[in-house]
Amino acid sequence: MSKRILVVEDQEDNRQILRDLLGSVGYEMTEAWDGEAGVAAAKEQRPDLILMDIQLPLMDGYEATRRIKADPELKKIPIIVVTSYALSGDDGKAQAAGCDAYVTKPYSPRQLLAKIKEFLP
Amino acid sequence: MFRRDGDSYHGVAFYNTSPKIIDFVKRHPIKPGRHTITARVALERRTIHVADLQADPEYKYVRRDVDPIRTELGVPMFRGNDLVGVNMLYKLVVQPFTDKQIELVTTFADQAVIAIENVRLFEEIQEKSRQVEEASKHKSQFLANMSHELRTPLNAILGYAELVLDGIYGDAPEKMRNVLERIQTNGKHLLGLINDVLDLSKIEAGQLVLSLNDYSIKDMMQGVYVAVEPLAGNKKLNFKLEVPPDLPAARGDERRLSQVLLNLVGNAIKFTDTGGVAMKASAANGSYTVAVADTGPGIAEADQAKIFEEFQQSDSTHTKAKGGTGLGLAIAKRIVEMHGGRLWVESALGSGSTFFFTVPLRVEHQAGKA
Repeated sequence: MSKRILVVEDQEDNRQILRDLLGSVGYEMTEAWDGEAGVAAAKEQRPDLILMDIQLPLMDGYEATRRIKADPELKKIPIIVVTSYALSGDDGKAQAAGCDAYVTKPYSPRQLLAKIKEFLP
Repeated sequence: MFRRDGDSYHGVAFYNTSPKIIDFVKRHPIKPGRHTITARVALERRTIHVADLQADPEYKYVRRDVDPIRTELGVPMFRGNDLVGVNMLYKLVVQPFTDKQIELVTTFADQAVIAIENVRLFEEIQEKSRQVEEASKHKSQFLANMSHELRTPLNAILGYAELVLDGIYGDAPEKMRNVLERIQTNGKHLLGLINDVLDLSKIEAGQLVLSLNDYSIKDMMQGVYVAVEPLAGNKKLNFKLEVPPDLPAARGDERRLSQVLLNLVGNAIKFTDTGGVAMKASAANGSYTVAVADTGPGIAEADQAKIFEEFQQSDSTHTKAKGGTGLGLAIAKRIVEMHGGRLWVESALGSGSTFFFTVPLRVEHQAGKA
């Protein structure tokens, strides 16, 4: 069975890129458009990995990450946080929120895929 | 002492004055006229001296005064031609002021105007600099927001370009690949510009916080060396890294300092067409000194200070052809200074350049922050 990746991202273009990228290597991708929906989808779908954007409507990616990691049934799901440019200090905040890894925007799809494969061999 | 505000005069400072008079004066601003001595000074714009106010036919308050003012002296306070206030002295007995006393009060009034004016100017300057600071903060915030907004669509452009190049949408013909690579190159350049602007605006807005950790300067330099080695290799430059083995452990923001070094070495490689680039480090007197030497064209003395300013580059056609944002060195300098260090260049036209920076071995606090 193919691995399922939940993408929490509010920008359609970014979702489209990830759809095409992940689909091309056989991952199944589900989507949530805001932080609250992301947490709900994680509970419902139990994905194999979560790609979490930071700037999201309703609940930001830090908070969503914290909530998922606080749930004993979900905390094992690896979360890769997609932060904006590194100088803002987002990477530190992402780690504090409990993510397993982070990539900084703009990420190269190729590099992102390599990062995902570290968790989903 | 009365101060003019618009066309009326307000009591602002009192000495040895009965509470009743203070209260009355405060509630009744005085307009120029003949009914009081203050009003009369304001009207005639000169010193007025009345030996016995109770005998003055124009004085309005004769009958109402319980403890009447008798002798009164009013001296105008001029700033240039502008009557800014009136200095009043009174006695409850009839005892005219002497010429000497009047002269003294006049001198005092002149000095008081200067003192008041100085305070006013000082306050004005303080207010102006506060406004300038505020405006600068708004500008930095605007830049930070804007660069974020610019980056979002650029991410999509670069992302799609890479997917097409990777053949996700099927094989792209060679001609198309070339064009896509150009889109990528230009997109990445634009991204570099935006990131630099964002960096600088964050620094200016005081939002850049160093993350201070222990690190090895050798590993840091090794990392930078590995990252840029291919660039030096492409240009067939002799690229060296010289770090003594026994350097003490460092504390600072490793990522920011490698950003600084990356900028210096990147520039050195960019501007050097023959010869080589060398990175060196040494420790002495509680500081590290890192040097990046190249055999490039050198920088004229007149340009050496300019290159550290925003959007300034060494002013030669040679430089213009090499591109760059003109922000990298400005950012590097700020980052080094935030570590309490210094960044400078030693160079002469035709004999290469060496950029140096020093940082304390162990940075425990960000410079400029408590």
